[in-house]
Amino acid sequence: MRLNSLLSPLPGWGRAALALGATALLTGCDLNFWRMDGHQSTLVVDGPVARSQLGVFYVTCWVTFSIFLVVGGVLAYATWKFRARTASEEQAVPAEQGHGNPLIELGLIGASVLALVIIAIPTLRAIWYTADVPVADKANAYEVNATGLQWWFRFEYPAEQIPGSGPLLTSNELVIPAGRPVRINLRAADVIHSFWIPKLAGKVDMIPNRGNSLWLQADAPGYFWGQCAEYCGDSHAVMRFRVIALGPREFNDWVNRQLAPARTVAPADAGASPAPAAVVRTTWQRNEKGWTEQFERDPLAAWRAHQRPEQAESPALIAQGRALFQSKTCFTCHVVRGQMAGGSSAYPDLTHLGSRTTLAAGLLENNTEQLARWIAHPDQVKPGNKMYALGYLPNNIRLTAGDVAALTAYLQSLK
Amino acid sequence: MDATVHSPHPAAARSLLFWRPTAPTGLAGWLTTVDHKKIGFLYGLFALAFLLVGGSEALMIRLQLMVPNNTVLTAQQYNTMFTMHGTTMIFLAVMPLGAAFFNIIMPLQIGARDVAFPRLNAFSLWTFVAGAIIINVGWFLPDGPPNASWVGYAPLTSKLYSPTHATDFWVLGLQMLGVASIAAALNFIVTIINLRAPGMTMMRLPVFTWMTLITSFLIILSFPAITIALVEVMMDRQFGTNFFEVSNGGMPILWQHLFWIFGHPEVYILILPAMGIISEILPTFSRKALFGYPIVVFSGACIGFLGFTVWSHHMFTTGMGTVATAAFSLATMAIAVPTGVKIFNWIGTLWGGHLKMRTPMLFALGFIWMFMIGGFSGVMHAAAPADAQQQDSYFVIAHFHYVLIGGSIFALLAGIQYWFPLIVGRQVSDDWGQRSFWVIFAGFNVTFSPMHFLGLNGMPRRTFTYDGNMGWNTANYVSTIGAFILGLGIALYFVVIIHAYFRGRPAGRDVWDGRTLEWSLPNPPPEYNFRVIPTVHARDAFWYEKQHPEEVAREASAHAQDEAAHGGIHMPFPSIYPFVASVGVLIGAFGACYHHLPGSLLGGGVLLAGIYLWSMEGAEGYHLHLDAAGQPIADPSADPSAKP
Repeated sequence: MRLNSLLSPLPGWGRAALALGATALLTGCDLNFWRMDGHQSTLVVDGPVARSQLGVFYVTCWVTFSIFLVVGGVLAYATWKFRARTASEEQAVPAEQGHGNPLIELGLIGASVLALVIIAIPTLRAIWYTADVPVADKANAYEVNATGLQWWFRFEYPAEQIPGSGPLLTSNELVIPAGRPVRINLRAADVIHSFWIPKLAGKVDMIPNRGNSLWLQADAPGYFWGQCAEYCGDSHAVMRFRVIALGPREFNDWVNRQLAPARTVAPADAGASPAPAAVVRTTWQRNEKGWTEQFERDPLAAWRAHQRPEQAESPALIAQGRALFQSKTCFTCHVVRGQMAGGSSAYPDLTHLGSRTTLAAGLLENNTEQLARWIAHPDQVKPGNKMYALGYLPNNIRLTAGDVAALTAYLQSLK
Repeated sequence: MDATVHSPHPAAARSLLFWRPTAPTGLAGWLTTVDHKKIGFLYGLFALAFLLVGGSEALMIRLQLMVPNNTVLTAQQYNTMFTMHGTTMIFLAVMPLGAAFFNIIMPLQIGARDVAFPRLNAFSLWTFVAGAIIINVGWFLPDGPPNASWVGYAPLTSKLYSPTHATDFWVLGLQMLGVASIAAALNFIVTIINLRAPGMTMMRLPVFTWMTLITSFLIILSFPAITIALVEVMMDRQFGTNFFEVSNGGMPILWQHLFWIFGHPEVYILILPAMGIISEILPTFSRKALFGYPIVVFSGACIGFLGFTVWSHHMFTTGMGTVATAAFSLATMAIAVPTGVKIFNWIGTLWGGHLKMRTPMLFALGFIWMFMIGGFSGVMHAAAPADAQQQDSYFVIAHFHYVLIGGSIFALLAGIQYWFPLIVGRQVSDDWGQRSFWVIFAGFNVTFSPMHFLGLNGMPRRTFTYDGNMGWNTANYVSTIGAFILGLGIALYFVVIIHAYFRGRPAGRDVWDGRTLEWSLPNPPPEYNFRVIPTVHARDAFWYEKQHPEEVAREASAHAQDEAAHGGIHMPFPSIYPFVASVGVLIGAFGACYHHLPGSLLGGGVLLAGIYLWSMEGAEGYHLHLDAAGQPIADPSADPSAKP
């Protein structure tokens, strides 16, 4: 109660504000700030390209920090030493009224140039190193095409061809082999985007009418956060993606699963009425967080779990959802390969949506609750998105809670 | 700002069309003024008002980002806020504040009675105001204000992706500001080259005037690039051309090159005047001449020149290829040398001086510290591989706010405090000025230093929300608290200045024991500035005058007789036509924003009529005769058609 007595001179609202501020500061104070190892940290990195860029950054840090100590030290000393302490000192005119000293100037210019050379050498080396896969490794490099669209990413695997339908396509989650250089060709379909996975490589822009590329390599299997880094319109902030790096065998298994057409759940008891949908939240705030702590603890394990079919699937509900997917015209934009004709690569491919950990371009965790949220409120989750602006609005799509549950079950079954 | 001249203008009795306004005060007086001090004062007022507008936008941004998943603003509102914050601060606050100083101080420093083209100066001012109106008019219209970010990267600005007129406001508004800036810059260049007092050689120019000259050259050389780029966007939007239209082979990357060929010199347009102000304040408050004057001037020119060679360092992530990236990387590092030279010379100026720790000096020293930090993070961006991680992250936000607030704004606030007694004739409370400095200084650093860590921890800029699991919460929270402290500091600064304007105690002549010619004037300076055009014998001309009073008095009386023999002090008439022409620009741009041909034509007509009448009324003026005390004496022989 001593604190309370200390605060007692404050008015009620003052105490409330203070308590609110302190609470917010404490709860907002995460250790990540001090460790600088967030999901998108550029200081705690997991690949050679990001490491090379970090190396250059540290060189610039040490050089500029040393200069700061020297110049700042002299500035602080001069300010302290030559400060006028009395009114008469302020009025006095210093003896020296010269206009400079060329030798000092030249010396300082020389020292500055030297400091810059120290930065320039590793800079030049890293420019060439990060530009493309090193020659010795070229044969081993895996190639992927990435395209930015408002506001999601499409990934294309030219090495993995599907007979009769072209290269393997997926969206918003890039799966790559770990320990192997990956060359990513960057394209944009509408406005400029930028492709950034801070822990693996610095960003390179995706520009319409321009063929850019970057390369990166993940040291070991892992799960990485990526984000669009060029302002691209309304939902730029929520245009995110994930990268999953896998060991060679696991990567191969993944490719094989993806090459297969969409998983179709046999309507075992199609005649029976659908099982009642699980109760999920239906009201959400704008921008509300869309992930669980459990997912956060081990995202790679969560990814692996997503590769297996859901445990409590209801074939009847899934069949109902599949029918809705057609009747609500979803299929006219979204491809579900092997199940229904229609759709185009201008919209996210949903063939294996259930096997991804995230929804709406890395924004929401792929679980029943968030999938239902995304289907029910696309405009709130992603302002300005085309599903809402070009799909829901012109087609006057209205979904009941039951529709949402059925669609959710269907989409989750697409492993 | 009171004009001391009240003699009736003979011009009042002219034909209606060529009527010359005579009102010295009141609304008509301000709209028709051609006095560089009044025009500069208006520039300053508008700029400070927009500083508050841009600052409020910044506070909205910080409020939204205070905690993760916040909902203070919608995505669209947030995108509008950062677009308008950037556009407002750069084009409507810092640039015109610089123009205010150019206008008021530069002619006084070179011993001139006005700028070379007083009516063009008025046109610049009113066209700037018209541009500011067009950029902000969306707040009051259904289309809303611009929201494609201050860099407006194509093709986001195309009709397909920005269908409303908001982007047209941005395009036309910036175009008008460009016209205003180029006209003003030409005026300043001609003034500095032609209207210097006898003996004011180029290497005796005060450093602030030098930086005015260099900045003006940067403006006339860099604005054409953005003018072209904006015309191309306008053509794409209004007439369906294909400059940036990808489906027809247009190249969005072209916009970035044109924009940054303008945009990088623009950065120096914002910082060189600040460096000029600092180079005036430090010597005055150290009571010592500027250390290394020639090299400070040369490094300023060097920065201006190199500023045109580094634009692509804003584009390191656009895939320019290794050689271009390396070249722009090295060129950018090279700029650190002349910049460092300036800092060394400022420290050299302090060395061995008697530092008077007054408010302007505190801001100036704060400038050096903050600019140094911003410069160092700039060197980090220059290293292209490191920049690949920093580009478009909060690290960049931290960097350019250190150079633009810690640099430009600190210097401009210092300049206001420094020249306030001269311009207004009243003293600012030094205690309160210093307090406002410390609040601003603390708030600024609490706001922007955490952003370095946010950027290194991967937070991208221009994002209206973020998740709480990214390690960004603490830094964002602290930064928002800092922003409100900074806001409080700025508010305190304004209160102190406004109080001084109305209630400050009268300032004596030459309050700081100044070194340059403006301090030789009474305050506020009379309309004609100098009773007698001074003769300059040295750098720090007024300092020399104070050391050699007899010599100066002898020359002054000789000059005065000379001038009286030539008819007295020539003053230009005020004119309404620059204002009329600017109103035409405003109407035309508004019509163009709505693709409305009659409106555009009407605006063009008013503009042409304004310019036509402006040229027909002639560059006439009248003569003033002053007694020894500087009071105007009636002059029966005043000639209504006196030529300059």
